[in-house]
Amino acid sequence: MDSISEQSRNSWIRKDNPKHVSERHKDMYEDILDDRRSSSDLRWSTRTREDVPTYRYNTPRTPVDIKKHVLKSKRVQYVLEKLSQESGKSIAELTTEAAVILDEMGHNINMGAIRGFAFFLVKIFKQLYNHIYVNEDGIQKVRNLLKDYPVLLMPSHRSYMDFLLISFVFFHYDLPPPAIAAAMDFMSMNFFGWLLRNSGAFYIRRTFGDNELYWAVFTEYVQTQISNSDRPVEFFPEGTRSRTAKSYCPKFGMLSAAIEVYFKANVSDIKIIPISISYSRILEEQLYAYELLGVPKPKESTYGLFQARGVLFNDYGSIHVHIGEPISVSNYCEGVIDRSCHNLLPRFIGGLSFDEQNLVSQMSIQVVLNQQRHFVINPWSMIAAVLMQNKDGISVKQLVKEVEWLKRQASNLGAYIDWPGHEPAETVIQESLKIHKNLVTVNSMDIVEMRQAERKGSDSLMDTAAHHLMLASYRNQLMHVFVRVALITLPINACTQDTLSLDDLFEKYTFLEKLLSRDFIFLPGNTRQDFEQALLVLTHTCGVAVQDKAVQIKTSTNKYTVFFSHMFEPFLLGYWVLCQHLLSLPSIAHDKPMAKPAKMITKEAQMVVARLLREQLIKHPETLSLDLLNNGLMALCNINALHKEKRDGAVYMAPNTVVLTKVTESIAQHIEVPTMPMASINVDTKTVVVNAKL
Amino acid sequence: MEQEAPTIPKRRQELLKWNGWGYKDSKFIVNKAGQVEFTGERYRLSKQVLPHLKDFMMKTCGISLEHKITAQPEITAADIPPPIKNKEFISNLRRTGISYSDDCQDRLFRAHGHTLHEVFVLREGKFERIPDLVVWPTCHNDVVKIVELACQYNAMLIPFGGGTSVSGALECPTAEQRMIISVDTSLMNKILWIDDQNLTVCAESGIIGQDLERRLAEKGYCTGHEPDSMEFSSLGGWVATRASGMKKNIYGNIEDLLVHVKFVTPKGVLEKNCQVPRISAGPDIHHLILGSEGTLGIVTEATLKIRPLPQCKKYGSVVFPTFEDGVHCLREVAKQRCAPASIRLMDNEQFQFGHALKPESSSIFASFLDGIKKLYITKLKGFDPEKLCVATLLFEGTKEEVAALEKRVYEIASKFRGLPGGADNGERGYMLTFVIAYIRDLAFEYYIVAESFETSVPWDRVIDLCRNVKHRIHQECKEKGVQWPPYTTCRVTQTYDAGACVYFYFAYNYRGVSNPVQTYEEIEGKARDEILSNGGSISHHHGVGKVRKKWLRNTIGDVGVGALKALKAYIDPKNIFGNRNLLIGNL
Ligand SMILES: Cc1cc2nc3c(=O)[nH]c(=O)nc-3n(C[C@H](O)[C@H](O)[C@H](O)COP(=O)(O)OP(=O)(O)OC[C@H]3O[C@@H](n4cnc5c(N)ncnc54)[C@H](O)[C@@H]3O)c2cc1C
Repeated sequence: MDSISEQSRNSWIRKDNPKHVSERHKDMYEDILDDRRSSSDLRWSTRTREDVPTYRYNTPRTPVDIKKHVLKSKRVQYVLEKLSQESGKSIAELTTEAAVILDEMGHNINMGAIRGFAFFLVKIFKQLYNHIYVNEDGIQKVRNLLKDYPVLLMPSHRSYMDFLLISFVFFHYDLPPPAIAAAMDFMSMNFFGWLLRNSGAFYIRRTFGDNELYWAVFTEYVQTQISNSDRPVEFFPEGTRSRTAKSYCPKFGMLSAAIEVYFKANVSDIKIIPISISYSRILEEQLYAYELLGVPKPKESTYGLFQARGVLFNDYGSIHVHIGEPISVSNYCEGVIDRSCHNLLPRFIGGLSFDEQNLVSQMSIQVVLNQQRHFVINPWSMIAAVLMQNKDGISVKQLVKEVEWLKRQASNLGAYIDWPGHEPAETVIQESLKIHKNLVTVNSMDIVEMRQAERKGSDSLMDTAAHHLMLASYRNQLMHVFVRVALITLPINACTQDTLSLDDLFEKYTFLEKLLSRDFIFLPGNTRQDFEQALLVLTHTCGVAVQDKAVQIKTSTNKYTVFFSHMFEPFLLGYWVLCQHLLSLPSIAHDKPMAKPAKMITKEAQMVVARLLREQLIKHPETLSLDLLNNGLMALCNINALHKEKRDGAVYMAPNTVVLTKVTESIAQHIEVPTMPMASINVDTKTVVVNAKL
Repeated sequence: MEQEAPTIPKRRQELLKWNGWGYKDSKFIVNKAGQVEFTGERYRLSKQVLPHLKDFMMKTCGISLEHKITAQPEITAADIPPPIKNKEFISNLRRTGISYSDDCQDRLFRAHGHTLHEVFVLREGKFERIPDLVVWPTCHNDVVKIVELACQYNAMLIPFGGGTSVSGALECPTAEQRMIISVDTSLMNKILWIDDQNLTVCAESGIIGQDLERRLAEKGYCTGHEPDSMEFSSLGGWVATRASGMKKNIYGNIEDLLVHVKFVTPKGVLEKNCQVPRISAGPDIHHLILGSEGTLGIVTEATLKIRPLPQCKKYGSVVFPTFEDGVHCLREVAKQRCAPASIRLMDNEQFQFGHALKPESSSIFASFLDGIKKLYITKLKGFDPEKLCVATLLFEGTKEEVAALEKRVYEIASKFRGLPGGADNGERGYMLTFVIAYIRDLAFEYYIVAESFETSVPWDRVIDLCRNVKHRIHQECKEKGVQWPPYTTCRVTQTYDAGACVYFYFAYNYRGVSNPVQTYEEIEGKARDEILSNGGSISHHHGVGKVRKKWLRNTIGDVGVGALKALKAYIDPKNIFGNRNLLIGNL
């Protein structure tokens, strides 16, 4: 007890010094590791869970019951019969095949395993993380919904940890453990594969194209668990861990299968819970960087996950789990979808209507956007963003200033920033630099620099790039906040006239949105609103001046517009190099450019980038990212600058020279581009020959 | 055959409630002891005290005896719009000798059916538009004259049978500028002949169900058509709405019973020239008449099939642990085509409602759930009283037939974990459907609005539909700020080869809700949306009228609507039958 003199001014204040207040509560977040640090993990993991909510209309079933149901279901039976007729195989034989698929797929969820798993996990989490924050109000909402509705959990996916995390959180709050859709590559991880299966993971092949039996088993397996709502079903809309820490464009398959249950009125509504998981530091940061550069990914193994190099002894900061606002599928469909279109076929036969498919894709995107809204921005993301624009180093003092400025901007744009209010900015930043000391150092002159790559005996350019990509992945966590304003500042910044009419600006915005639509997430049909909203922010807080329906360029070009634009420059630059490469492809007969497989094009473009970097004609090593180049390629396809064709199952692409030339020019209007050397590539020898004609 | 005055007199208001359901002398009241009691002496429940009903209503709907609302005493002439008078029509009508009236109570009585909306208006509001004149034809030829006059002098006609419509079909279009004449068929109540060789009866369209069955019974016959409204609804009304009777499994629905029909239209009389069991003569013109809801003409006479009265009539019931078990059992019964005259599956909520209707002291109402059996079922067999549900059965036929069928049905039931639950439970189930309309009037007084709606649905979607619709209603109530959870219940009330008819009741306590009827209608609208999304239909037997028009185009498609409109344009180009039911009336 403090003595009277040290006591606070007001006697009802218990802890006056903010430093004495524990970090257990923070805004709407609560640290669920806090208790675990002071009481028995064993007792916690074996405790009686009280008031676990169950779905009002649930019929209790074991994992085995579920599998039995699937095999007996009309959907599977129908396909078995059909395949039997087509292939001549006996129903019995095909049934065995289905059973094998089911065994490969099905989870074997049981509380025993979950308790063991919780016990084991909490130890790891305490070791790795300082805090795991969860917004309690979200949990409360989920608790209530689970009684009345089937619930889909759709978390963001940045790390393997995501798989374990939601189950852990649900265990902590006495919620039913979810069934989690996991990709097959996980299954081979012996111990983890087993543990996860027993904790609720079910495994889905990455591709099963036209394997009808697989489709039927998969669909029924997922749907029956939603209809009967045995437990919430969890899956990642992005389909895979995002290697870039930006949101990936969502995949629609799983959501389609899931909400078909609503379309076909097995249930009257489904609630979707977007969940945003934010890490201060991602376990796989390095792995990802090399993957992005095309160093083959090591096959997942338990060992790989906790690969030595002291993973367990590193500081990984905190995790924030934000349970987002539930989306009611039925409200979402109101007035758009007529479910009675399924009344003329037995429900186990027909697929989704065109409108329904559209809605699913729209909704997937909406879920990802909702996730983005609740990502918690770590100070380190802002530091990374500033460092990316000061590659040669920046003084701590300047860094603090810049970060504080950026923080204000992000905040104005609605981002939630994890910034301890009672700490001076410098302390916060120093703290961050410490956690990420593998990426940056502070030298004796108090200059913050990127650490030099240390891997010996290999391509130093790639190692440097890997470092850049790691740093970029943290900056990336900030990008969704700024992307819409940046799409406006880019044209403003690049404008050579005195004014830029809003119509022209919108046109450019639209172009950039389309171009960047694989790297960033936009809601289709929402371009106009996004534009206007972003413009409003710029005019209100960033000094952009609009007069007579035109932007006044001189007054509007300022620190804001420059910084925001520069954040996105590497992407445009990468695309531009890609375009140049595509334009330089030799043409076959009649000036028709040669078609090539997409993978080959990105790989070649990467080589061109490498060459340009070495020549120091460009300066952003992150443009070496195959992900970035591939996204560019997809976007070019979408705007018809390339056309696709299928040959032997592989996708080939060839430029549409007229469109592509225009696109290339348009990109060049927005950023500084080097003069392209004439380069020719030899893939076999992996060399780029730059013709001297500069 | 001998003439007989109709049970319901010309001045209906002298026998029937003007602002509620049924006979004036029969109603639920809360007696001095604070118990619910049913008055009168017409029904088996009459003069009985129902000690559980009040608690049931308090528990399920949150009523309290202190919060009571009284209906307006009457709608006076001042509140009734003055009649529009088509002088030529009236003077020509006078010459025909057909009786008519423009008395405001006579007109008001024929301005409505029995939807929640209509009854609520009677209790609390006023109608914007009511018929300007009521006419009472006494035979087919009277109707022909009335229709001719209406065509000649451009007056609008609305056929009126028993006034039990629950689709808004009888409501007058507010925009109608012409004189509206309600053609009350109640004096056309003669049985014209009975043919015991072909087993048919020909009657005038105004005869009401109870009179028809009673008088056929005197001769040893019945039609077996027993809609729950049979005390009041008429032969013509059944044809015009495609009605369905409780015992359709043996006797068929109205379309199965109908052998011949006479239909007076502005273009002339529409009828077939023969009375045959089946015909292939192009699209069946009977099906233009069935379900026409007063938009094309007036049914004046109809020939129905009849059957000898059954020797034996027996109630029964089966208790199932869950609703799903019950549905599977009914499906199996339908599959084996061994359904008794009636088989209905009530969900748990309705089963409990049935129990709340148990009178105080009456051995005939003793129930299996009392005493030992209750223990047996709930404890030994693991039936959860909050989940179990009951199928009510009605067997008809010879003693042997009934015995054989009983055996078979109970055997099937046992495969679905069903246990015989005794005759009383069955009987009480049927009683509930007869008195429910009376109970609604009591509920009104305690801030409860209630209504029923129904649908038909393929077997594979019955369970999902029942659950989803009830759930949807609960959610909509929550969203609309209804303070107490609503009471929703359903029963599978008819079975067919390919599906079933499902009947819902929905009631909620509207204290704190500013516009209860509109809120109710919005919620019922959502429920109907849910029904259609669940593979259900716009209606199994209540019809479209005005309240379900919104879903008709989706149901029958543009071509369907277009064809009906073309039909209307040919038969009734001047829109004499301008009640605007279905989408045909929208000319
Ligand atoms: C408590 C209750 C229970 C019910 N139970 C059932 C049931 O079990 N099964 C069922 O099918 N329905 C039921 N109904 C609905 C209603 O009873 C039926 O629709 C019935 O067929 C209507 O007959 P009605 O004589 O009362 O017709 P009305 O209500 O007078 O009229 C109904 C419609 O038919 C038209 N019409 C009436 N007579 C003629 C005629 N002679 N020629 C042409 N058109 C005419 C009217 O213009 C109006 O459009 C119930 C209603 C209530 C209130």
